[in-house]
Amino acid sequence: MNDMSTQANESLGDYVARARAWLDAMEPRFGHEARKGLTVDQDLALAREYQRLKSEAGYACITLPRALGGGGGSEIQKILFGQEEFKHDFPTTYFTVSQGMPIPMLLRYADKEIGQRLAPPAIRGETIWCQLFSEPSAGSDLAAVRTRATRDGDGWRIDGQKLWTTWAQYADYAIAVVRTDPTVPKHAGLTFFWLDMKSPGITVKPVRKLAGESEINEVFFDNVYVPDSQRMGDVGAGFRVAIETLMIERYSVADDACGGPTLNEFAKLAANSRINGRAAIDDGQVRRALAEAIVERQGLRSIHRRALSAIAEGKEPGPEGSIRKLRLARRRQAMGELAMDLMGAEGMLLEPEGTSTLDHVWSWMDVPGARIAGGTDEILRNTIAEKVLGLPQDYRPDKKVPFNQIG
Amino acid sequence: MENEILTMLLDQAVRLLDAEASQTRLKALLEEPGSFDAALWGKAVELGWPAIAIAEESGGLGLGIGSLAPLLQELGQRTVSLPLASGYVTAAALLEGGVAADVAAQLASGQAIATLALGEAGECGLSPAVVFSGGTLKGAKAPASFAAVATHALVSARDGDTPGLYLVDLTAAGVTRDVVPTIDNARAAAALRFDDTPATLVVAGWNALLRHAGVAATLVAFEQIGGAERCLRISVDYAKERKVFGQAIGAFQAIKHKLADMYQELEIGRGCAIDALESLEEGRGDFLMLACTARLGAGMAYDFAARECIQTHGGIGVTWEAEPHHHYRRARSLALEIGGAPFWRDLLVDGQQILETV
Ligand SMILES: Cc1cc2nc3c(=O)[nH]c(=O)nc-3n(C[C@H](O)[C@H](O)[C@H](O)COP(=O)(O)OP(=O)(O)OC[C@H]3O[C@@H](n4cnc5c(N)ncnc54)[C@H](O)[C@@H]3O)c2cc1C
Repeated sequence: MNDMSTQANESLGDYVARARAWLDAMEPRFGHEARKGLTVDQDLALAREYQRLKSEAGYACITLPRALGGGGGSEIQKILFGQEEFKHDFPTTYFTVSQGMPIPMLLRYADKEIGQRLAPPAIRGETIWCQLFSEPSAGSDLAAVRTRATRDGDGWRIDGQKLWTTWAQYADYAIAVVRTDPTVPKHAGLTFFWLDMKSPGITVKPVRKLAGESEINEVFFDNVYVPDSQRMGDVGAGFRVAIETLMIERYSVADDACGGPTLNEFAKLAANSRINGRAAIDDGQVRRALAEAIVERQGLRSIHRRALSAIAEGKEPGPEGSIRKLRLARRRQAMGELAMDLMGAEGMLLEPEGTSTLDHVWSWMDVPGARIAGGTDEILRNTIAEKVLGLPQDYRPDKKVPFNQIG
Repeated sequence: MENEILTMLLDQAVRLLDAEASQTRLKALLEEPGSFDAALWGKAVELGWPAIAIAEESGGLGLGIGSLAPLLQELGQRTVSLPLASGYVTAAALLEGGVAADVAAQLASGQAIATLALGEAGECGLSPAVVFSGGTLKGAKAPASFAAVATHALVSARDGDTPGLYLVDLTAAGVTRDVVPTIDNARAAAALRFDDTPATLVVAGWNALLRHAGVAATLVAFEQIGGAERCLRISVDYAKERKVFGQAIGAFQAIKHKLADMYQELEIGRGCAIDALESLEEGRGDFLMLACTARLGAGMAYDFAARECIQTHGGIGVTWEAEPHHHYRRARSLALEIGGAPFWRDLLVDGQQILETV
C-alpha cells in the first residue's frame, strides 16, 4: 500500500492538490452519476467501499493515528480535505456522525484495548456508530434525559427511549447518555456509555421524515445489559462528556451552501427565469437577495479561513464561528423559496431523483431539519447571547432541583 | 335570507370537513402524484359548494364571491384541496366573455371540474408563450392544480401579441396531460400540453387576464389565511404544552416573539384579503391593486407561518406524522400556482404608481 497520508514537509497547498487528484480519481466510481438510481442499501454498500479506499489512502479520520486506519494528519488537513471532498457528491453521509463524534470519544474515554479493537473497522467503514443523546423530552434540553440505567452486578440495565438518532437503523454501536441517578439535579445524574446495538432488548424503529429517505430513528431499550467496562467517564459525569462530544465538530465544514445548491446555481436559475418576460437576474429584488447572500458567504468564508489559520497555529479560533450554521441554514431556506418563486408554477415540481445539493426544490423541501438538528436556531442564538456576549442566562427553574422532583 | 343560507352552508362545511379531513386521509393524498379526494368532492357537490358563488344566469346559486371566501378559508385551515376557486374563476370568465354557458352550468353543478393553467416553464409571472392561432392552441403549460382530474382548463395564451384566456375541453384532440410529482401531491397537479388543440377565446387582453388572475388570487388568499390561522393555532398550542428547561417553550421570548410575528403577518394578510374581496364585490377600480396586496400579504403570512410552525415544533416538526409539513407544502403550492411573488410585487408597484398619479 502506498502510504500517502504523511509526507514530510508537504505544504498545505501540495496537500490539497494531492487530495484533489485522489478525489478526482474516485469520481467515476463514487460520484453523482454512479450513485443515481441506487437503493439506500446499494448506496450504503458503495459508501463502505469508498470508506475503505479512503482509509487506505489516509483520508479517513485524518486526525486519528495511521495505525488505526486514520490519516495521522492535522486538524487543518482534515478540514481542507473535507472542503475538497464536498465538491463531489460522494456517499459519505452514513459515516458523518459515526466518525465525527463517537470514534474520537471512544479513543479518549474507553479502555485502550477497546479503542484499538473497535475504532479501525469504524474508520474503514465496516461498522457504523450512532449517537443516542436526544429523547422525546430531551432535545434542546439534553440534561432532561429520562432513559434510566440501574446497577446490576458488574454492569447496568438500561430502560427507556431515544429519539431522532441519525442512522441508528444501520448502526452496529452507539454512544449514549443515560440517567443513573434521578435523586440529584438533572445535570449531575447522567452517565455516558458505549453500547453494542445488537444487545438483546434494543429495538430500532425508523421515523419517517417529511420528505425523502429518512436517517432518523426511535431506539427503545428494554432491560438492556451493559457491562460497567463500557462506561465512558465517571458515574455522574455524563453531561460533561456529552457536551465535550458536541464540541468536537464545532469547526467542521458545513459547506457554504449548507447542503443546498450553490449561489452560482441560483444565479444560473435567475439568468434563465423571466418575470413577465424580463430576465429575473435583472430584477432589483432578485439582485438584492443574491447580493445579500454573497455578502454573507464572504463574511463566513473569512471567519472560516481565520479559524483555520488559528487551528493551524495551534490557537483557539474566535467565537464568531458559532454563527455559521445559524446563518447558512436560514439562507438555504430563503434562497430555496426565492428560487421556487422564480420558477413560478414549475417550482411545484419535485423530481423523484432530485437531490438537495443540485435541486432548488429539494433543497427547500429538506432544509427544515437543518434549522433544528445540531442545535435549533433559537438555542444557537441563546448560546451566542450567553456564551459569546456574556448576557445573563435564561430563567432555569429546574436547574438545582433533584430530577425526580421536577414537575 | 342569504346570510342564513350562508351560515347554514358554513356549518355544514365545518361538520363535513371535520368528519372527513382526517390527517390519515390527507397524508394518503400526499403519497401519490396527482391525488384527488373524489369522495369528498362528491359530497361537496351534493352540498352545492361549486354552485354557491357562481351567478344565477350561469346556473349557480348567485350568492356571490363573498360566500366562497369563508368556505375556502375552512378548506385552507385543514389543507383540503377542492377545485372551487378554479371553478368559480372559470365560470365568471365564461359569463363575462359570453361563451360556453353550458360549461359554466356544468361547473356550477359539479359535473365539470376546471383547472387554471396560467403558468409556464421559465416564467415566474403570467405572461403566456402558448400560442392561439386558427382556433387552436399550441405549447406547454407548467403544472397546474387539478389538471390531473379536470374536464376543462382555463388557459392563458397569446394570439399574436394579445394575451387572453381560452377555454379548452380536456377531452379534445391534441391534449397531453402529464401527472407530475409535486411538493403537494394532494392538489392533483398535471402539466398540460396542447398540440393544435381546439380552444375558445374567453376574454382578451392583458388587463382582462390580470383581473381574472386577481380574482383567483383573492380567493386563494382566503385559503392561505385559513392555513396561516391553523399554523398559528397549532404552534401556540404546542408552545403552551411542550416543556423544555422546566417551562413551556412559549415562555421563551424567542418563541413568543416568533408567534407574535406570525400573528402580525396573518392579520396583515387577512386585512389585505378582506379589502380585495370587498373591492371585487363592489366592482371598484382599485381591485387589481388590492388583489396584489392580498396575494402578497396572505402568501407571505402563510409561508412564514408554515416555516416557523415546523421550527416551533422542533424535531417533531420535520416528521411525516406531524401536521406542519402539510402546511409547508401547501403554503408554497398556493404561492406558486398563479404567478410567483416577484411578479405580483412588480404589478403592485406599477399599479400603485398609476393610482397615485390619477
Ligand atoms: C434531522 C435530525 C437529525 C438528528 N440527529 C440526532 C442524532 O443523531 N442524535 C441525537 O441525539 N439527536 C439528534 N437530533 C435531535 C436534535 O438534537 C433535536 O431535535 C434538537 O436538539 C431539538 O430538540 P427537540 O426536537 O426536542 O425540540 P425542543 O427542544 O422541544 O424545541 C422546540 C422549540 O422550542 C425552542 N426552544 C427550546 N428551548 C429554547 C430556549 N431555551 N429558548 C428559546 N427557544 C427554545 C426550540 O428552538 C424549538 O423551536 C436530530 C434532529 C434532527 C431534526
